[in-house]
Amino acid sequence: MSALLEVRDLRLQFGGVKAVDGLSFTVEPGEILAVIGPNGAGKTSAFNCISGFYLPTSGSVVFDGKDIVREAPSFLRTLRLVDLLQSFGFYRVLPSRVTKWGMARTFQNLRLFRELSVLDNVKTAMHANLREGFWATLLHTPGYRRAEEECAEQARGWLDFVGFTGDENLYVTQLPYGEQRRVEIARALATGPKMLLLDEPAAGLNFNEKQALMQLIRSIRDLGVAVVLIEHDMGLIMQLAERIVVLNYGKEIAEGSPEQIKNDPVVIEAYLGVEDEPLDATKLQTGTVDLSLLDPTRPDPTRKEKR
Amino acid sequence: MSRSTMSRSSLTRDAVLRAPSPLFDRAAAPSGILNSNRGFLRALGGLCVVLLAVLPFLDASRYTISIATTALIYIMLAMGLNVVVGYAGLLDLGYIAFFAVGAYTSGIFTTVLGWPMWAALPATVLACILAGIIIGAPTLRLRSDYLAIVTLGFGEIIRITANNLEITGGPSGIHGIPSWGFGGWNFDDGFSLFGLQFPGRVVFYYFVAIVVVLVGVIGAGRLAKGRLGRAWKAVRDDEDAAEAMGINTYIAKITAYIIGAVWAGIAGQLMATHLSAISPNSFQFLYSALILMAVVLGGMGSTPGVIIGALFVSLAPELLRDFSEWRFLIFGVLLVVVMLFRPSGLWPSTAILPWLRKHRPVPPPTAGFMAVPPPTANEDLETVDGEEAR
Repeated sequence: MSALLEVRDLRLQFGGVKAVDGLSFTVEPGEILAVIGPNGAGKTSAFNCISGFYLPTSGSVVFDGKDIVREAPSFLRTLRLVDLLQSFGFYRVLPSRVTKWGMARTFQNLRLFRELSVLDNVKTAMHANLREGFWATLLHTPGYRRAEEECAEQARGWLDFVGFTGDENLYVTQLPYGEQRRVEIARALATGPKMLLLDEPAAGLNFNEKQALMQLIRSIRDLGVAVVLIEHDMGLIMQLAERIVVLNYGKEIAEGSPEQIKNDPVVIEAYLGVEDEPLDATKLQTGTVDLSLLDPTRPDPTRKEKR
Repeated sequence: MSRSTMSRSSLTRDAVLRAPSPLFDRAAAPSGILNSNRGFLRALGGLCVVLLAVLPFLDASRYTISIATTALIYIMLAMGLNVVVGYAGLLDLGYIAFFAVGAYTSGIFTTVLGWPMWAALPATVLACILAGIIIGAPTLRLRSDYLAIVTLGFGEIIRITANNLEITGGPSGIHGIPSWGFGGWNFDDGFSLFGLQFPGRVVFYYFVAIVVVLVGVIGAGRLAKGRLGRAWKAVRDDEDAAEAMGINTYIAKITAYIIGAVWAGIAGQLMATHLSAISPNSFQFLYSALILMAVVLGGMGSTPGVIIGALFVSLAPELLRDFSEWRFLIFGVLLVVVMLFRPSGLWPSTAILPWLRKHRPVPPPTAGFMAVPPPTANEDLETVDGEEAR
């Protein structure tokens, strides 16, 4: 059983900052994997590399047997043409292609299409799977009408699946926040993914909404879709995730089941820090550290004691 | 846990994810004239077509027909720019360049090469597609502000090129562009039907009206509603999210550009016939700004709005002719007033008819349906999901 996603030694640098520094992990088909880590650990940067938005400095990402990171020939690199060509979509895999391969994602802060209705937002995600020619659209042929009806039907199916019960004709900005989250997940599902990347799906949700979200993520997994989520809510992750990858400073520091992660000293250190080390008696004696200076009850040597 | 493993094993790993069928049937969308936006717009459009058809019977003077034809060509131009600016959100300050490409291509093909006008149409369309690709391909990776500057430059390049080339007639332009004709019959001959005489200008007016209504307005509107139009609007609203939804944003943008160019090219060919002479002066930056104004004033991405904007921009200077030198001042003040009171346009694309607004359901409070259903209902939900998975 080969892995659905294989990230190997992924590195991403912004100037001197190593956002992702040698990250490796795998995602198996149909599992729920949580990626956690303190703020700034490089979780979202890693997501952006995997989904094709950022071009990693080095490393490989293989999704469903297809390589997402492309290597540009060295002569283009010396001619400094790589950036230009990559901006046109050469020597890279565009995020739209990655989505067509079956990797859908949501964004950390909601990024719905603000001036489209709820239904149109979900229909938009079916772009790649929809067969509608230019002339068919202009002439409104029966084939076009059938495709549009089928598309609307599927979009409604996804909206029902995520539990959206509002008016599909409303603009998304008219919806409350929790509903917008649902529409965003429905939109990602409508691309027909094998793997779904959720970037902090529970941010800003209340307790009840989080419970509903957990239910939804499990039912997505039951469709056979692997779910990878970045999340800060430990309660939610411990209940939901089958496997957890912990990042810190762009590196994987731990991996395992929720039980293992909960008791991992390295993880606890990353989140809570370590206690100050106890005083070293030998250092005190050799005079490297003179802690007595910090003692407020110490008699002041400059002052003469009066008797 | 057993439930999940069971349903997972029943699925093949590489199965294409099928959308679950909707859990309940939706009520059919209302389609009446007064109780739906769509029905109302259709009725309004039908009324406008009737008005267009009746106009020459009310007043067939040379002046009226001439400004009506010009206004129709402006509508065609504005609908084309609406695809670029309104739907795809790409600010184009040199749109008149495509108009010039269309006008000059048809002018050269009919006067220099002596082709009939209809035969020049494919050449015009091809030239505009090429122009759209040439300007679009290198610049469309730029974001809005830079794109505006580049298109501004492109507009000037086309005008100055036309001013200096020999084949375009230099500063004096091309004269004696023939009218449309099919076989031996030409629009200028006019024709009579049931004792009614239709002079050449009226025949041409009807021809322009048919092209503008069918291709310009209905065609652009249909494109905007389909797969391509959704992609354009997605790119406009959020380019990264559109890319994440499997839309190649580069291709979506260049398609919008090509469609805009073709629309402008057809308008240019109609204009060349209408004026029978073209010169570089007709393609100054002022006209790009004017068409952009028509789109922004009417409401970006809104068909009725853009038509109103184009009519305003083309007819207001004529209607204000009585005020002689003051007319452009009044025109400017009117524009400022409109933009102050209707910042998103006279008829925005998100507009809901005022009498329908109260029927629209108000979004319920968050807790209403994000809340977890009671435990028993929860189990029902799970079984439903399990059914769908299989």
